[in-house]
Amino acid sequence: MAMEHLRWRPTVNERDFIERALQSDLRVDGRNSFDFRTLKITFGREDGTSEVQLGETHVMAYVTAQLVQPYWDRPNEGTLAIFTEFSPMADPAFEAGRPGESAIELGRVIDRGLRPSRAVDMESLCVVAGRHVWSVRVDLHILDNGGNLIDAANIAALAALSTFRRPECTVGGDDGQQVIVHDPEVRDPIPLTIHHMPIAVTFAYFGEGNIVVLDPTYKEEAVMGGRVSATINSNGDVCAIQKAGVEGVMSGVIMQCLRIASVKAADITSKIKKAVKLCISPAQASCRRPQQHRQHPILVQERQTSLAPPDSAPMVEASSEEDAQPVTESSNAEAKSTSSTGAIGESDEAQEIGSPKSLKDAIKPKHKRKKKVAG
Amino acid sequence: MESRRPPPSPFVENYVVPGDVVLDLSEMTNQTIKLGAGLRQECDTIQATSSGKLRLSKPNKYWVESSQKRYTPSVEDTVLGIVVDTKPDNFLVDIKGPNLAFLPVLAFEGGTRRNIPKFEIGTLIYARVVKANSIMNPELSCMDATGKAAEFGQLKDGYMFDTSTGMSRMLLSSPTCPVLEALGKKLSFEIAVGLNGRVWVNAPAPNTVILVSNAIIRSESLSGIKQRAMVENLLQKLT
Repeated sequence: MAMEHLRWRPTVNERDFIERALQSDLRVDGRNSFDFRTLKITFGREDGTSEVQLGETHVMAYVTAQLVQPYWDRPNEGTLAIFTEFSPMADPAFEAGRPGESAIELGRVIDRGLRPSRAVDMESLCVVAGRHVWSVRVDLHILDNGGNLIDAANIAALAALSTFRRPECTVGGDDGQQVIVHDPEVRDPIPLTIHHMPIAVTFAYFGEGNIVVLDPTYKEEAVMGGRVSATINSNGDVCAIQKAGVEGVMSGVIMQCLRIASVKAADITSKIKKAVKLCISPAQASCRRPQQHRQHPILVQERQTSLAPPDSAPMVEASSEEDAQPVTESSNAEAKSTSSTGAIGESDEAQEIGSPKSLKDAIKPKHKRKKKVAG
Repeated sequence: MESRRPPPSPFVENYVVPGDVVLDLSEMTNQTIKLGAGLRQECDTIQATSSGKLRLSKPNKYWVESSQKRYTPSVEDTVLGIVVDTKPDNFLVDIKGPNLAFLPVLAFEGGTRRNIPKFEIGTLIYARVVKANSIMNPELSCMDATGKAAEFGQLKDGYMFDTSTGMSRMLLSSPTCPVLEALGKKLSFEIAVGLNGRVWVNAPAPNTVILVSNAIIRSESLSGIKQRAMVENLLQKLT
């Protein structure tokens, strides 16, 4: 009961008014039915950190990677996992600790949009087939719940994955099985290969399923009858659809929503790419400044099975920035992004897992870490 | 009598932070000074305990005004509450404070055990705070001090939104706040402002309600002139 009164409930007045206004095609914040709120994408200092503000909703994404053993039925592929955390500062109804139902649902919806559609190339994450692959982990933190967490969190995950770079590693040593993870100071880290950007677009249904709006706010979400989230990329490929809520929806309405979603997806994809481009280009130039070495502790370890001296290749490679994502020229003034300065500071650990893993272990991953700090 | 009047504190109508010495009592004798929220007496001085603007109400009432999202209930405030639960003796009402408030079922004009109003969960109520301290749940009433209804009670239709407490004080200030004045010249609407940071707006057309509520929400950080300009802008877009 202590926390119960903090949960916000809509008043009878708000519920009636929102529905009545929607009958006349009016939304409470003055938007059109199919308008997104203002989108702002910013990036943090480290690679793979992004913050997205969609109206009042505020989400942060954080991407990390570590070397693991692959699943036994996919020995050539890396893995991608999404974790969500609903911070209590986002909403009085969120509690700290174990993720609740809505947190798990959010993680699942985003995961289904990104993984099966192969947005991130998994085969390029393989280092030694069957022994070492990169496991990419995306952590989504909800900082402020202003409605439509799915769309905002998806954009944050994509923006973070686009700017994330993993350390370069080479296979060498006596038996060709030793993996040497190179320090990012020594060799430039490598960005992920992203084939396409699946964008989630959420529609809320009111009335008897005949009133549809895009990007619901917090109050609209409390009053809506049902919701459909469609994950579409700019080519028009539908990557995932999820329908929640009790209200039934006509198939014609869903098809119309998919058409609208593909238009919006193209728009948002261009905004993300523009923001990423602005972030990456100054970062390349400031890559080798000495003061940044002091700021970020170097945690990358060089792991070898023999006692041979570490393979220190001091060759400084020219920054090999592969243009994984084609940069589109779009002059969309709404996406604002601030560029980050540092591109150094990966914190990765080379690790080895004892037992062979299969897809069953996806349900309960067991990570046994053995840390070895090279001198 | 002139010499007896306390020298006005240099902080009046200025911002203070906790620890600022607002008044020095050793200079004043035989004065009665009333302290409101955010002030405390420390031996011979009055110090601020919260940050905000120091206000003086002649002749001798001082308090610190700050603007927050949360509301600290204080007596004689008019607030907008949402009914959360009904009990045999009280309605439990949420007023954005640390505790739920109690509204006795008989605290209505002509209220008896026979004509208890039926409020469902989610009803919006305009009420007055009768008792408030940090220990107990605050108590509300839907009557004024003389026992008349005086506009208190359930608010029907319309739309409610949240603002900060400073914004609701500004909306209630006299002379009329610039944004309300500018809106009132062209549109007709009714409005109820709760000091707990809730505002209710009603008008015959939903269009008007949406425009008024958005104008008020946006005017929080604007000066008087900018508020008027913003309202002009919005009205022009409509017509």
